[in-house]
Amino acid sequence: MHDNFNNTIDSGLANPAEPEVGEMPTNDHSLDDLENVNKTGTTTVGLATAEGVIIATDMRASLGGRFVSNKNVQKVEQIHDTAALTLVGSVGGAQSFISSLRAEANLYEARRGEPMSINALATLAGNFARGGPFFAIHPILGGVDEEGHHVYSIDPAGGVVADDYTVTGSGMQIAYGVLEQEYEEGLSNEEGKTIAARSVKSAVERDTGSGNGVFLAEITTDGVDIRGHKDFDDVI
Amino acid sequence: MQGQSQQQAYDRGITIFSPDGRLYQVEYAREAVKRGTASIGIRTAEGVVLVVNKKLRSRLMEPNSIEKLHKADDHVGIASAGHVADARQLIDFARQQAQVNQLRYGEPIGVETLTKNVTDHIQQYTQTGGARPFGVALLIGGIQNGEPRLFETDPSGTPNEWKALAVGRDRGEIQEYLEENYEESADLDAGIDLALEALASVSDDDFEASGVGVATVDVETEQYSELDDERVQAHLDELDLLDEEDEEE
Repeated sequence: MHDNFNNTIDSGLANPAEPEVGEMPTNDHSLDDLENVNKTGTTTVGLATAEGVIIATDMRASLGGRFVSNKNVQKVEQIHDTAALTLVGSVGGAQSFISSLRAEANLYEARRGEPMSINALATLAGNFARGGPFFAIHPILGGVDEEGHHVYSIDPAGGVVADDYTVTGSGMQIAYGVLEQEYEEGLSNEEGKTIAARSVKSAVERDTGSGNGVFLAEITTDGVDIRGHKDFDDVI
Repeated sequence: MQGQSQQQAYDRGITIFSPDGRLYQVEYAREAVKRGTASIGIRTAEGVVLVVNKKLRSRLMEPNSIEKLHKADDHVGIASAGHVADARQLIDFARQQAQVNQLRYGEPIGVETLTKNVTDHIQQYTQTGGARPFGVALLIGGIQNGEPRLFETDPSGTPNEWKALAVGRDRGEIQEYLEENYEESADLDAGIDLALEALASVSDDDFEASGVGVATVDVETEQYSELDDERVQAHLDELDLLDEEDEEE
């Protein structure tokens, strides 16, 4: 609470749209950047199963989908004991977003003695996305808590939408095509991983911004397990 | 003269310890709490009960204008004892904290978190130059994760959790009564009765319904609600605690 000792009393009221730890980064993103989010290469998929949540992401970083700048990118990161977030859009924005959310989730748990619910994490992520300069991002948040298994899409303007399955990134139409045929309620995690990997594979085959393999994150009450696979055959 | 005022500075300066490690201004603030009429909190199996004594100084005063029971959020109530004006500041702080939590995390604030936010705020007034501590104690009761919780704040900013307690005038005697008669498995009505009887045990005069405030937060609805005079009257009737004149009516 005490940032300094200059004898002033802290209002004690945290701004809901700002991190308690550190400050919002500043930059000069324009509305054009906002529109470009969907043009940035990437395919990230999140789906809820009967046992937890599965997230799948491709492994390509590209410059506008024209040049492959990295072939081994992990686009899903753990941000909480039982939640993970995907990186979509501006890499700097997404990394900074993840660091902030991770710090907030840790602080919340340390202060209150119980982990942040996934709904709280999604609300906070939405507030940050809307209020901050992270906005050139379009991540998926997946997590498990006492209430159940959750998948949220956090859009660049701060929209927070819960769903059973969702896809973001330039390969989304292709990946959705697979999910619309194959997703159903009550999947096991193994089935979920196969379907998620298949949907990313379809996107990788036809979307030039996505490629080079798949990272799969399996989220259960036990935690988050993230593994990379250069070869889709390992998981399909 | 100079020397003497320096020596006694710990008596007046809020941020200065006495040689034996006490903060006199905080202790004086506790005295201010003792001068306020009593407030009682009871945690029952079905929810939390808050009962306050709203002793009227004059029959011309409107009972409704005595502010001792406050709704902090849908699921949290606060009873105060001590300086009403100081209480109002803390209650408003608590209300804002509850809404900030809702905005920030999209969920109702925990009773424990709310209490600790308030006590952290109170604490700053014991360590900041030029400030005066809050001359008020609060009972913060509500439902968190489906469980009833009841906390106390004092002028030092220490949070404590209780099954049942009293703050304000006659705290000690009321507390003794509660210790002898408290039962954890009691229902909400039994909790209200216990608090009223505890209050009666230290009152010289009999009650009027308008002189007592009763509020509950029950586990089922998770809603704060204040009992109207008729319902308070019904409890007092049943316990035979009413003013004799009222009984004749």
